[in-house]
Amino acid sequence: MAKYLIKRIGQSLLTLFIILTVVFIMVRQMPIDGYFENIDKLDEAVIKATLDNMGLNDPILVQLKDFFLDLLQGDLGTSARYSQGVPITKIVAEKAPISIILGVLSMAVSLILGIPLGAAMARSKNKFWDKFGTLFIVLINAVPAAVYYIYIQSYGTSLVNMIMHLIQGEEAAKIGMLFDQTRWVTWILPVFSMSLGNIAYYAMWLRRYMVDEMNKDYVRLARAKGVDSKKITMRHVFRNAFVPMIQYIPTSLLYTVGGSIYIESLYSIPGMGGLLVEVIQRQDNPMVQAIVMIYSCIGIVGMLLGDILMAVIDPRISLTRKEGAR
Amino acid sequence: MKKTPILSVQGLNVKFSLRGKTLHAIRDVSLDLYKGETLAIVGESGSGKSVLTKTFMGLMDTNGWIDSGSIWYEGKDLAQYKTEKEWLAIRGKEIAMVLQDPMTSLNPLKTIGAQIIEALKLHQHLEGPAAHQRMIETLMDVGIPDPERRAKQYPHEFSGGMRQRVVIAIAIACKPKILICDEPTTALDVTIQAQILHLIRELVRKYDLTTVYITHDLGVVANVADRVAVMYAGDIIEIGESREVFYDARHPYTWALLSSLPQLGVKGEDLFSIKGTPPNLFLEIKGDAFAPRNPHALKIDFEERPPFFDVSPTHKARTWLLDPRAPKVDPPQILQRLRKGEGV
Repeated sequence: MAKYLIKRIGQSLLTLFIILTVVFIMVRQMPIDGYFENIDKLDEAVIKATLDNMGLNDPILVQLKDFFLDLLQGDLGTSARYSQGVPITKIVAEKAPISIILGVLSMAVSLILGIPLGAAMARSKNKFWDKFGTLFIVLINAVPAAVYYIYIQSYGTSLVNMIMHLIQGEEAAKIGMLFDQTRWVTWILPVFSMSLGNIAYYAMWLRRYMVDEMNKDYVRLARAKGVDSKKITMRHVFRNAFVPMIQYIPTSLLYTVGGSIYIESLYSIPGMGGLLVEVIQRQDNPMVQAIVMIYSCIGIVGMLLGDILMAVIDPRISLTRKEGAR
Repeated sequence: MKKTPILSVQGLNVKFSLRGKTLHAIRDVSLDLYKGETLAIVGESGSGKSVLTKTFMGLMDTNGWIDSGSIWYEGKDLAQYKTEKEWLAIRGKEIAMVLQDPMTSLNPLKTIGAQIIEALKLHQHLEGPAAHQRMIETLMDVGIPDPERRAKQYPHEFSGGMRQRVVIAIAIACKPKILICDEPTTALDVTIQAQILHLIRELVRKYDLTTVYITHDLGVVANVADRVAVMYAGDIIEIGESREVFYDARHPYTWALLSSLPQLGVKGEDLFSIKGTPPNLFLEIKGDAFAPRNPHALKIDFEERPPFFDVSPTHKARTWLLDPRAPKVDPPQILQRLRKGEGV
């Protein structure tokens, strides 16, 4: 197990190093405009002096070395155009928490609703819950998210207000369409909207894997052994069906935490979601570089965690050398 | 051997609903399973041998049902069992099963010790050290060396033969009365097959089990069975002691089946094969199901289902050829070789 972990972490670090290098070099190929608030108003000498000062005229390998040294000290550079002179870590630190909280909540909702739905669908194959779940999955996948997000926002807001009115009576304060960090009721709709896609995704895959497992011989043997069908579903089928899914859950969690562009702009949530698009539009080279790197890290860490989780629950993976037939 | 039936099937009919049509999988089967005997049920794929034994444990697929008939076991009619709760008192505890493919019949995520203990908890209500103790004993019984260490391992750390031993350990752990072996050696290496058969035979003696083998390997049958039942198209068409069915078969289908033994073939000649295909069980079968493929078929074979004719007190066959009025037909020449003790 330890050997496997070390090997797997080493691979991730290597991948990360390669990605960071590639991103760094690519951003260096962009126009230098992206390092200045307003390059047209500056004369050549000032531009050159600033670039020299930033080290951008050094040989690329020296720049790369400086970049990694800064990175090791947690320095991502400063924003050039988006919010001039402010350290990027500070900008991210302001925006990330809200996205992380929303993401974690939405992930929890997706798992809490998606997994029981998938399991119920598998258990009642071709009966009510299966048909209901299939309808839901098809709708979520077929209708563009933007469409149902807007419906949820407009009708959902009225619905939430109505329910609040029923519970709290006249003194219930109405909520608007937009997100207000200080009022928990306004969290419901964004979190719910963000969860829908993942609920459908988990339900669909869990159902599929569980139905596959249910037809396996070990389930027949468990039945012949006298295990009741509920325990077979929980102890045997579910765990085996979850192995192929668990690999993707950390990645999907981390991407959710990375923020949803659409939800955040719809409810005007001050999160990370729109940041990458915005800094690309504003041609803020240091920020584009930093944020692309953050998302790459998220992807790599997600896959690493997925593989580790899988090794934890599947004994067949932790073996580094071949055993078996003897 | 004292002949007390431990399980008695009477007039059993099993049907399946498939794509809106009804398939008659078991057609009016009656069978006594005697205490302590080893019965082999042989027949080609689709003849209903697996379905028949599944009805003993309520393990039929959900689209199948018992249409009529009864299965008597210890004064209870298992054919009347409807709920899972009723069946849980039988499965694993009274009747246990060994499946065909040991590579897939164990849960890959649980240690083999845990999989045996699961059964012990259910039926023997053993917990903790007592369950562990019994689990280790069972592993020793099935000949797994170093059981303390092996119990902590996962199925993928075992070879096919060893896994089949584990499956057998699960089956016998709760000391069932009847053991059903559904082609227990088909998926195994030939050298391992003999070991597993030998092991089952030893356990049958030690645990005083009544055994049912489902197989289409007549070699296995000759090796282990006291009695043989031959199934065709959902019906038992001949049943008798092993020796009687092998050396004095009476039903033309049994003749054909035995003639297909590759051991009886002559080098250079084509192996014997039965012409035609088994009947479509979606359609109603009239007369003897084997008649259309039977070169010795009589007119009545197409019209009326033959009754069982007794050949000896222990041997009977469902064929009109045994009727006193029927013309005398000799078994195929090739079966003479069986009598001479060649092959098998």
